[in-house]
Amino acid sequence: MRRHLLAALLLLPLAGHAQTVSGHLTLYTSQPEADATRTLAAFRDTYPEVTTEFVRGGTGQILPRIRAELAAGAPRADVLLLADSLTMEGLKAENRLLRVPDMQTGGVPAALVDPDGTYWGTKLITTGLLRNTRAPLHPARWSDLLGPEYRGQIAAPAHAVSGAALIHLLTIVQQPALGWLYLEKLAKQDIRAAGGNGQVMQSVAGGERGYGVIIDYLPIREHAKGAPVEFVFPEEGVSAVTEPVAILAGTRNPGAAKAFVAFLLSADGQRLAARQGYLPADPAIAPPPGFPPPQDIRVMRFDPARAAAESEAAIRRFNALFGG
Amino acid sequence: MRHTAGASHRPYDHAVRLAERQRLPEGWTPVLLAGAWALAFGAWPLLRLAAEAAGRWSLLWDMAGDAAIWRAAGRSLAGAAAAAVLATLLGAAAALSLLLRMRFRRLLALLFVLPMLVPPQIMALAWIQAAAPSGPFRLWLGVPGPFGQGNWLYGPHGIVLLLAVQTAPLVFLTTLGLVRRLPGELIEAARGLGARPVRALAAAALPLLAPGIMAGAALAFVAAIGNFGTAALIGLPARWPMLTVLIWQRLTGPGSNALAEAAVLSLLLAMLAATGLALAALARRRGTPVPAGRAFAPVGAPRLAALAGTLMGLYGIAVLALPLAALVAAAFAPAAGLPPVVTFRTAAALATALWQQPAVGEAVRNSLLLALGAGVVLAAAAVPLARLSALPAARPVALWIALPQALPGTVTAVGAILVALMLPFGAGAALYGGTGLILLAYLSRFALLATRPVAASLALLDPRIADAAAGLGAGPWARLGRVTIPLTLPAIAAGGTLVALSAVNELTVSALLYAAGSRTLGVVVFGLNEGGETQLAAAVSLLSLAITAGLLAAATWLGRRLPPGAVPWRV
Repeated sequence: MRRHLLAALLLLPLAGHAQTVSGHLTLYTSQPEADATRTLAAFRDTYPEVTTEFVRGGTGQILPRIRAELAAGAPRADVLLLADSLTMEGLKAENRLLRVPDMQTGGVPAALVDPDGTYWGTKLITTGLLRNTRAPLHPARWSDLLGPEYRGQIAAPAHAVSGAALIHLLTIVQQPALGWLYLEKLAKQDIRAAGGNGQVMQSVAGGERGYGVIIDYLPIREHAKGAPVEFVFPEEGVSAVTEPVAILAGTRNPGAAKAFVAFLLSADGQRLAARQGYLPADPAIAPPPGFPPPQDIRVMRFDPARAAAESEAAIRRFNALFGG
Repeated sequence: MRHTAGASHRPYDHAVRLAERQRLPEGWTPVLLAGAWALAFGAWPLLRLAAEAAGRWSLLWDMAGDAAIWRAAGRSLAGAAAAAVLATLLGAAAALSLLLRMRFRRLLALLFVLPMLVPPQIMALAWIQAAAPSGPFRLWLGVPGPFGQGNWLYGPHGIVLLLAVQTAPLVFLTTLGLVRRLPGELIEAARGLGARPVRALAAAALPLLAPGIMAGAALAFVAAIGNFGTAALIGLPARWPMLTVLIWQRLTGPGSNALAEAAVLSLLLAMLAATGLALAALARRRGTPVPAGRAFAPVGAPRLAALAGTLMGLYGIAVLALPLAALVAAAFAPAAGLPPVVTFRTAAALATALWQQPAVGEAVRNSLLLALGAGVVLAAAAVPLARLSALPAARPVALWIALPQALPGTVTAVGAILVALMLPFGAGAALYGGTGLILLAYLSRFALLATRPVAASLALLDPRIADAAAGLGAGPWARLGRVTIPLTLPAIAAGGTLVALSAVNELTVSALLYAAGSRTLGVVVFGLNEGGETQLAAAVSLLSLAITAGLLAAATWLGRRLPPGAVPWRV
């Protein structure tokens, strides 16, 4: 009861909407199970009339599922919360996303939302280096991974599963100092890119491999629980995705879907993200413990238009290097 | 008295009807319904699958040039064959050991069969945890493995080993089925000729058991090639996808032709499995008929029996007890890479965490509903299906009841999708992605499980009872409802429970058919593990095992009066 009251107070400006938003909402997301559960629970605290369910999977698994359901004439998802904007750009180009130009985006910077109002970044998820605290070496740069002592010791997420991993590879390609040359050398280090970021975490924390390439929040969160891992922001910079949220054009419940998006972008939704251990998209919200101040995080330069143009050829090359 | 009145002045007709009633004590209607069932649930999905692939020459051409497909097919063949060989050695050794008089005979037999009853995905998760070098289990025991050496289970050898342990019970049970019919006189005769006990067994019993061992080996091959849970949990991180995993990847991955490709691959898988089935049939036919005689009595060879018994016990500890302990350790680890904290408080916290995951509640509800639905429907259909199966003339139709069970579940699932998409009036769209489609697929896949115990029980039923009922004026439906069903009720209940037991932990079919709201326990364990949420995956597995144990106890209890073999693991 107290939690409901608190939520209502925090969301006073939105309270008018709360009366009208109801029905069922289905979310397809790449968030970890527990996070998706809590995100939806917080949303329902504000909009108790809405019932929710979700499907979790890697971005590379959710997308084909959506396409298969559309092809079968049985779309089930209302809202998508996936890792990267490249995926959203693809769906937007096929007119699969609902346009909401007047969405209330709260304090989220304009750079993180689609100017046409079809998808909105909800947080910043960076990809950096992971290290088991028992491991002998201390990698500080991406290029350190090319050393002979790292051979067979690096775990990485598969770009076919993780949207963040795909963007990471596309970002590396765009760095003059790294580029394809770096990836070709890295592929020779016996990297077994398999599964998503969660499996990289398990593999490195369980001592199967000493080091990894991973998104920030998993190790930072597990480190706080005492897990023998640490996250390293490499000197060259991290790659970043915005975990955008979008509404499918065929949604049967646009009211609840819009309320969900507005909720994620609101100060309350952003505070929830920070509580879950994510770097919020809204710079006014304090980052969770374990993160450096946002202005100290160096993000590698990334040109989304160039990535979109060359992604198909690049993915084929990634498949050849790291396995599809 | 209607029928006798008509028949009294036509003795020939009367004889025909009597003979018919001996074979079909409830008349033709249930059998015709069962035939329609077999065609709708068995033949339609499989034929639809074949039709999807037929004539698509350009697709077939493209796929023939896809090296990944041939690699996966080669892995499936080689992996399943290796697993079958190992399973045969293990299963035959265990079955032969039981020819000796030993203590804890039944317990050891159950211990050997249990790996077949633990869902493959849970077994694989448990083994992975037991092998993880710095996983919670090894840290708990204080014997962490070498750092940075990977998990030794991740590789073809790990898949083969685990598949062998999971399929060895099939060899064990088919062999034991023959042991039960081994005439006691045979061993006595051999011993009378001066052979020592063990030699008497080897010389007299082994030739008679060989066809059972061979048939078991073929069944182990079929089960191994159709396995998805183990192949995925170990094969994905090891980057060694077999055909079942490749089909799942193609169906859930990008690609405009995903469904057609999955259909072609399923047919390929079905053909590979069919070679195993043909071998099993051949082995059964080639077998020397076992002469009837006195019941076989285990042979006394105390030292050897003690050794065999100890080995079987150690085997059970190695393949079952240690991995399950590792699963508990994984569930109780506070974070990845930390030793478990097993206290009352952490247990309570774990229970709360499970309770708070809506996915878990959803999965328990879905899996229990699916198990109940499939169990009840198939139990209700079991008597007609068993009557149909017993009819020699209906063999081509009855085959379709057995085939979905024998072929890999992947084949059933892809067939179910194709059938659902062709249903009229939007029924397909309504079914697609819902629990309903999974239920329909289960009805196809598990029909034989419900039919088999009932068929065994019907074979023992004296047809004169139905005759007597007919003489008292009971029509076909009354004979079904008042005579046959009450008399075979234990078998019907045991069959239904077997179905429920298989359905509640099923993954192969539901991994391809689930959507939001229709996830099953198997899918949730698989998904949590894939997402790297190992602690939760292990916890849900423990919950799942508790449900399985309950159903197992129920099936054993219901099957206690049935002929041996009706409930597969009861020896």
